[in-house]
Amino acid sequence: MKHLRWILIVAALMFCAAWQARAGGVKVIANPSVKADSISAGDLRSVFLEDADTFSGSHVEPVLARSGPAHEAFLKDYLGKNDSALQAFYRSLVFTGKASMPKMLASDADMVAYVARTKGAIGYVSSSASTDGVKTLEVK
Amino acid sequence: MRKMIGGFLAGGTLTALLLASALHAQELKLGKYNVQMHGFGTQGFVHTDGNNWLTMNTNGVGSGAFTDAGLNLGTQINDRLRIGAQVYDRKLGGLGDWHPSLDWAMVDFRVKPWLGFRGCKVKTVLGLYNDQQDLDFFNTYALLPQSVYPIDLREVMIAHEGGDIYGSIRLRKKLGSVNYTAYGGRRDDHMYGGYPYLVSHFMAGGSGGIKLTSEGGPVYGGDLRWKAPLRGLLVGASRINEMITASGTMNMGGVVVPYTEWSKHEWQNQFYGQFAANRWHAESEYRRYLRDTMTMGGTMEVINDVRGWYVAGGYRVMSRLEAGAYYSHYFDNTPSMNAPGSPAAAAQAVYEYDKVVTGKFDVNRFISIKVEGHFIDGAGNGPYPCGFYGAQNPNGFQPNTNALVVRTSYSF
Repeated sequence: MKHLRWILIVAALMFCAAWQARAGGVKVIANPSVKADSISAGDLRSVFLEDADTFSGSHVEPVLARSGPAHEAFLKDYLGKNDSALQAFYRSLVFTGKASMPKMLASDADMVAYVARTKGAIGYVSSSASTDGVKTLEVK
Repeated sequence: MRKMIGGFLAGGTLTALLLASALHAQELKLGKYNVQMHGFGTQGFVHTDGNNWLTMNTNGVGSGAFTDAGLNLGTQINDRLRIGAQVYDRKLGGLGDWHPSLDWAMVDFRVKPWLGFRGCKVKTVLGLYNDQQDLDFFNTYALLPQSVYPIDLREVMIAHEGGDIYGSIRLRKKLGSVNYTAYGGRRDDHMYGGYPYLVSHFMAGGSGGIKLTSEGGPVYGGDLRWKAPLRGLLVGASRINEMITASGTMNMGGVVVPYTEWSKHEWQNQFYGQFAANRWHAESEYRRYLRDTMTMGGTMEVINDVRGWYVAGGYRVMSRLEAGAYYSHYFDNTPSMNAPGSPAAAAQAVYEYDKVVTGKFDVNRFISIKVEGHFIDGAGNGPYPCGFYGAQNPNGFQPNTNALVVRTSYSF
């Protein structure tokens, strides 16, 4: 019985650690012009799926990574689409005249640099990336 | 001359597509503006037994006269204002015939997420896929369900010249969001579409046919769709009202006389739902299209009451491979032609029930290949097009048609 209790505690700790690692896989970043310090998952989805082009009262621009673990985690956790589905979705907007193709960047460093210099830009990087010059948005 | 210009523009579009893809020139700098250039093209092949289909001679060896392409330019002027335009061209058997058209060209001014305006020539939002029906890379199927999105009538509903009011509203208490579009304007049909083609062969057994020179008129309508809190669930409804007038000439045994026709009533209702989760997606739509038209200068009334619906689903088997299937049901309940005031001619229902299986392989982000089988019960032969045409089936229609469709697409 005693062993079982320890096994359950260890399993719970491992689950929590795994959950933390999963949630901490990606950081959402924004240009300092974005007023808010946090964003809801629904608002984040609206911005990246072009339903909304404003957030917290100011214009925002979604920025995508081309590939990588942070990109995959962001798509899975917040948009519910895989990369091909997302690309097809954006191109369907472009070819019907409803939106432009978002900027796509090759690395975390490029993403941070672009978001830092572009008013209203919102992007994402891996949790270990340096985020000098941008603010990190907490996703609620 | 017009043919030469058309051919030149078509060639130009294709050359630009190839050039653009070769150079990967997707963003140009024009002054202070970044101009994006995107394009797509598809090539299809159709083989059938039973009947020739979609104005192609598909029986026997089959037909590859199934090509289309589009090219667009667009730029964001400022946070709220965007402009862009797209040219589209196609060859589908006897349709399109490499006569390019301005697919859309518009100014888009988005004031708030819940309020935006689009104007000039705008793609018409109608059901799940009307404005996206050319985007082969986006769809699981090589041919969308023909009961709701007939490819031979693509030009009829694809766009309108006028304006849209649109927006997206987040609902309180986590009830999801609502997207709306309301529009009004005018439609001007391409003279190389399915209806002009059909009537050009009307009474063609020696005495000629009807040559339309214009067809179009005022349209207005709207679309309302709810994105439910359950991620991936979407339901909606669309409505369009039209008042269409067509004119041209009719050859009656060598005597050419003016020809006109006009709508008494013409509208379409569409209801739809879609659910996508993980590797799965499923969708269904119902369309009712009523077309009550006075033809032959008002001496003949033609009524079509079309009920079309489909149920479709797809599953991504692997990251690059998707399998799908649908059942498409087309039923024209009252295809009647009669002189006003006289008893209606015996109504003969026109139907097509199409069972489809498909496989889509994404070679990479830009190229996909689809292989699709159609098993069609019925062959419409009414006064309005529905895929099978007398011109390619001069000896009458077979009751069943099986078809193999292979289609590859490229987009950038």
